[in-house]
Amino acid sequence: MKSAFRRGLASPALAALATLVAWAVAGPAWAAGVLAVGAGAIILFHLRHLQRVSDWASGPLDAEVPSGSGVWADAFAAIHRRVRLRKAQQREMGSIIERFRKAAEAIPDGVLLLDRHGHIEWANARAEQYVGLAMPADRGRPIVNLMRQPEFIRFMEGGEYAEPVLVEQSREPHLLSIQVVPYGASEKMLLARDVTQLEAVARMRRDFIANVSHELKTPLTVIAGFIETLQDLDLEPRQRERYLALMQDQASNMQRLVDDLLALSALESEHNPPNEAEFALVPLLLELSAQGKALAHGQHEIELIIGDAATVVGSRDELASAFGNLVSNAIRYTPPGGRIVLAWEVAADGGGRFSVKDSGIGIAREHIPRLTERFYRVDRSRSRATGGTGLGLAIVKHVLLRHQAELEIDSEPGEGSTFTVVLPPRRVKRAPAVAVERPPVAQASTAGGETAD
Amino acid sequence: MSDHTSKQFDAEMEAIRSGVLSMGGMVERQMTRAITALREDEDARLIDAVAADEREINHSQVLIDQQCAQIIARRQPTAVDLRVVMTVTKVVNELERIGDEIKKVAYKSARVRGNDQLTRLRYHDVVRMAMGAQEMLRKALDAFARLDVNEAADVVEEDDEIDVAFNGVMRQLISYMMEDPRTITPALEVVFIAKSLERIGDHAKNISESVVQAVKGKDVRHATADQIRAEVAGE
Repeated sequence: MKSAFRRGLASPALAALATLVAWAVAGPAWAAGVLAVGAGAIILFHLRHLQRVSDWASGPLDAEVPSGSGVWADAFAAIHRRVRLRKAQQREMGSIIERFRKAAEAIPDGVLLLDRHGHIEWANARAEQYVGLAMPADRGRPIVNLMRQPEFIRFMEGGEYAEPVLVEQSREPHLLSIQVVPYGASEKMLLARDVTQLEAVARMRRDFIANVSHELKTPLTVIAGFIETLQDLDLEPRQRERYLALMQDQASNMQRLVDDLLALSALESEHNPPNEAEFALVPLLLELSAQGKALAHGQHEIELIIGDAATVVGSRDELASAFGNLVSNAIRYTPPGGRIVLAWEVAADGGGRFSVKDSGIGIAREHIPRLTERFYRVDRSRSRATGGTGLGLAIVKHVLLRHQAELEIDSEPGEGSTFTVVLPPRRVKRAPAVAVERPPVAQASTAGGETAD
Repeated sequence: MSDHTSKQFDAEMEAIRSGVLSMGGMVERQMTRAITALREDEDARLIDAVAADEREINHSQVLIDQQCAQIIARRQPTAVDLRVVMTVTKVVNELERIGDEIKKVAYKSARVRGNDQLTRLRYHDVVRMAMGAQEMLRKALDAFARLDVNEAADVVEEDDEIDVAFNGVMRQLISYMMEDPRTITPALEVVFIAKSLERIGDHAKNISESVVQAVKGKDVRHATADQIRAEVAGE
């Protein structure tokens, strides 16, 4: 392309040529006139374009680049190209920044940027939620004014950020692990992670080990004590027998505990899916009621109500152990002379409900949510006196989890409790009202339309 | 005032405000510990920790009060700055009293502990009251940190709820005591705990009122939440 300067000279040169021609043809007066008109036209042309440039340059940033003619056309085209290029670059930068911002938002932890004074500069939505910030209003506020935990303030002032700090707070989430990463010129990035759940799991594990050790230690101490007595003292045969019997009691306590622990760990293991099959429920219920009778030694009245005959898909052994645990609990926590009702029915939605209702001591409301925790006991002395391991309901919970079933607990202190297993509809098939042998131990009453008797 | 001294002054003002909030953090931690003591752990160390917190809080109070006195003497603050300094001394006082009440709650909860069934009387309601008081304290301090008048008005509103809960607990306990005189001793302990919690709510409310006063320069003590909101909106 020719230089704009050279092309710009073309019109003055033309004017000069016209002047010379006018001089030659019509004399100097005409020549002066032609020169004046030519120069004026040229100056006017350039001034108009200059005006457009200056209007555009002082106008809004995204104003259209003006168009022009002559030498200005090229200059404007060049400016236009540049503007377009710059706009494209800007768009790209913008989209990069936007992508980074989105990535930072998507980080599953809270991210907070602090300036060199420890004032909040930016926070992603999760950080806002974790710390309880209201952005953008909280921008520029010292983070230690809003997270006031003394541990955190000390951590920020200490300037030693190699290890994360645990911060407890009264709002949700209750426990945050906070890590600080310095970057740039003494700015900081603060990462907050919700560790409430992790901490709860770790705590449960610690408690579990402590509990198991404690539960094993108690009978062991008794046995060790008797062994010492038997070794040191020369006892009458009758007394020896008595001590040995007590030792055996304790040994079987330990045996039961270890059995339950093994059962629990088998249930928990994912590599061991339940051995599923379809089985008739009524015989199982009859077995349970017979076992209950045997366990109660005639001290409780046990009744079995079978509303609907049905078959169930699942592991018979596991469900038998879960149901059996509920029955033995009911017997254990009901004083002699009490009444225990086992009932089975198919609910309206096709699911099954097996319930064990006792007239026992009942459970205060605040204990109910924790009953299925391992070794959780409402009343320690009573539970151990009746030979409980503290794992029965934990086993029930795990069996039911494996069968997508639920446990409902309804209880009133002093009135008794009802534990109900709710089986999902797809596991229950209502059987035609086949003739079922009459329960040998219970007086079956009619609860539903089609009954067992 | 030259640029240098005004910067220095700003830093001093910032320091007393942050000092109050850090002291507030100590009180909040003490409250969390007291609630844990109230709820579950029969841990003597927890009670010791609450007592240690209280000493730390008292120490902070003295320190911040000194800083305020120095600012007033050396800088002679006016208008908004003076109001903030005044608010700081008031808030610090309230926080120290809250610390005292929390210590009482923790000590009483240790005594109630041994008395299982009897003192479980209305215990859940008391724990819920404690959590309400904790929430109020947090919001009051947030309002102070942000100089947020609306949040402050919320706290004043929540205080009414705590008062209602306190009256409910009280009525229940009285009926227990009338039914069975053996419950009187433990029930009285629970009464003291509930009373302390109710006082904590009152102190949190006072903090919020100071915040409104600092921001708007209006005395809103003894006003309801709606009156405060109207007052603030009327500006």
